[in-house]
Amino acid sequence: MQQDKEYVGFACAYTPLALIHAAGFIPYRVLPMGDFPDRAGLVLHDNLCPHVKRILDRAMDNNLPALRGMVFMNSCDSMRRLYDAWQRERPDIESAIIDLPMTMDDPAVHFFSSELERLAGILKSWDGETVSEDKLAASMAQYDRIGRSFARLRKDAGNGTLGMGAGALQGLYNQASMQAPEDTIELLEKNTASPPPGAAGMGGVPVFIFGNILPNPEAFDLFESCGARVVGDDLCTGSRLFTELSSSPGDDITSRYAGALLRRRPCARTMDVRNPGSFAAGIIEQAKNSGALGVIGHTAKFCDPYIARIPHLRQKLREAGLPFIMLEGDCTLRSIGQQRTRIEAFIEMLR
Amino acid sequence: MKQYFKNLESGLSAAIQNGQSSPRKLYALEIARLGARLYSGVDMVSWCGIYAPFEILNAMGVTSCFVEFIGAMVASTGTVGPMIEETDHIGYSSDACSYHRAVTGAAIKGLMPVPAFLVGSTSPCTGGVAVIENLAAHFKKPLYLLQIPQDFTENNIRYLASQFRDMAAFIKKSTGVVLDNAALTTSVKNSNRARELLLEIYRLAASRPSPVSSKDLANFGIVLSLLFGTEEAVRLAESYRDEFSRRVQAGKSGVPKEKIRLLWIQNRIQFKHPIETMLADEYGAAIVCDELNDVTWDPIDPDDPYEGIARRCLSIPFNGTIENRVKHLQKLAKDYAIDGAINPCNWGCRQGTGARGLIEEGLKKVGVPVLNLEVDCVDSRKFTEGQFRTRIEAFMEMLDQRPSPWSQG
Ligand code: SF4
Ligand code: SF4
Repeated sequence: MQQDKEYVGFACAYTPLALIHAAGFIPYRVLPMGDFPDRAGLVLHDNLCPHVKRILDRAMDNNLPALRGMVFMNSCDSMRRLYDAWQRERPDIESAIIDLPMTMDDPAVHFFSSELERLAGILKSWDGETVSEDKLAASMAQYDRIGRSFARLRKDAGNGTLGMGAGALQGLYNQASMQAPEDTIELLEKNTASPPPGAAGMGGVPVFIFGNILPNPEAFDLFESCGARVVGDDLCTGSRLFTELSSSPGDDITSRYAGALLRRRPCARTMDVRNPGSFAAGIIEQAKNSGALGVIGHTAKFCDPYIARIPHLRQKLREAGLPFIMLEGDCTLRSIGQQRTRIEAFIEMLR
Repeated sequence: MKQYFKNLESGLSAAIQNGQSSPRKLYALEIARLGARLYSGVDMVSWCGIYAPFEILNAMGVTSCFVEFIGAMVASTGTVGPMIEETDHIGYSSDACSYHRAVTGAAIKGLMPVPAFLVGSTSPCTGGVAVIENLAAHFKKPLYLLQIPQDFTENNIRYLASQFRDMAAFIKKSTGVVLDNAALTTSVKNSNRARELLLEIYRLAASRPSPVSSKDLANFGIVLSLLFGTEEAVRLAESYRDEFSRRVQAGKSGVPKEKIRLLWIQNRIQFKHPIETMLADEYGAAIVCDELNDVTWDPIDPDDPYEGIARRCLSIPFNGTIENRVKHLQKLAKDYAIDGAINPCNWGCRQGTGARGLIEEGLKKVGVPVLNLEVDCVDSRKFTEGQFRTRIEAFMEMLDQRPSPWSQG
């Protein structure tokens, strides 16, 4: 266990975890999970996404481990407002917001790289270590190793040979997002050692899940109990956080890292300007490659990047002949549970 | 739409020629002319984000407009319902900003002219970027996205300035239109002239009593930005400056017997509604200041226009943390000796409503109470007068009974 290191919190899958780690901290994802009073709506507004509201609720309820700092990414309006509210509610935990371009072109990567350098300076001011090329490269390699291990687990899930349910896999994602990469490597190597045949969920109907925030392992158990087998995902709290980064050109390691982060599989808030609307094609391609018979969309309510892209995606999925169900939640298990009948009917229809 | 704008233009021109001119009529005429150009079928059109550099686009002879303008238009003409229903049919959640739903509905209905290209901007809102991307896909036209960094730093200014240069190159590549340096210089000079006039207008608006009636400057600053770089913007601003000067010299207030001075936060309500009239007639309350009506930038150097325009963009308090916005609102409250503020909290506007609590707290610190309404500023179908009337009455009575926060000094 890396107990001598301090935690730095984060809330977005674009956060440069390797950089935080290279600065001597353990990146800790503040997941919108747990039981605490619902107060954030008063500070923010009820129509902000439950992801940010529940993170703020956690912060207001002091439901956090000791954090040396909190790093926000400027991913969307709600996240910006969360940063503002955080400073008011938890001035005792230093925080920073890092600009995150919405495109992946070279100037955007260059700019993002300068933002990562700025973050390295901020981390240093939080009593972190200087981020050297070597340290960053080592941390990136560790996270890539984690990405590869998760990719193996996802492959097993797709083949029906995963020795655990999708809920347990989600549990691993959650754990990995809250501990040092060294500990995650150890944990995953245990879990990927020998996938037993005849795994849980093997008989279910293969489905692909996409969206933003779905950290509750029980939600995946629920999908499986409705007869689904999750064969792939594109979720902020799932595969998108832990994927091996592709190499990206650049003069120095920070710009290569910036390019790799920005150019990895995008969530709805990032776009390829040369190909507007390509988000839909990306989901369809992944769903098809996974062998899914249907697609489940699950987003936190009030999420503008997804709200605006769903109609086009819905149309494209129809054209591609992929049945689709859209669920919205408030980051509680209850909100998914309420949609059980719809999920069951959807799976039944796919059989 | 084409016919609507043509009729509006000819009706307003006739009225103005018959001696019924007023700044607000000239403003409406410029909107009608912009609308007529957008829908002419001849002019080259670009759909944009709110922070697009209109000096550059106007210098290139491209009729450019942020898409939210269409949302406001359909709201003000009472035709928003069918547009929004169109988005219901495609499953566009009603949790989204109605400006964006209305624009999307208009595009689906074929009521948006086909642009030559689109220029999005990542500020002020995430929903705006998404809708621009959707429109680019819908029209199958090239898109340029301006990344507006959050902080006012030299590095960020350079980055944004370089994007403006890239944008001009993108337009040339997409349309063949070349940015002429002399035209850009003229455009920037016009923009600077409009800026000076705006400073005068807002200084006059802050007079006690204010020459501004509640509707005079509604949407003014944001719509004028569409005309930045043109002589029309200068002429329009001159007419406001002259009219307000006359009123101030004559001691004439915009709202008769002005008693209460209000600050309106973010956007106005775009459809016809009785709130402004009710405030003026029943309480002597004038909206003397709109948050979006201010000059936060320095003159733009005509020899280095890109950096100057970038500085302007980054100076707008909707960028960055809410601290910038709160400080700006506090400054406006002081400059205009504001008694109370109204925040409509446009439903679906995450960047705006998410700041509700901190804005209220920030204005309270300078003694200015805030009335937070929960309005959809575009979708008139959700508006229930009675509910707002009760809340406004209570707020006004409270303001009426307390001394001005600025009376001591
Ligand atoms: S769920 Fe959507 S709105 Fe919420 S923080 Fe993520 S991207 Fe932003
Ligand atoms: S009201 Fe808010 S979400 Fe809507 S266009 Fe304006 S800034 Fe964007």
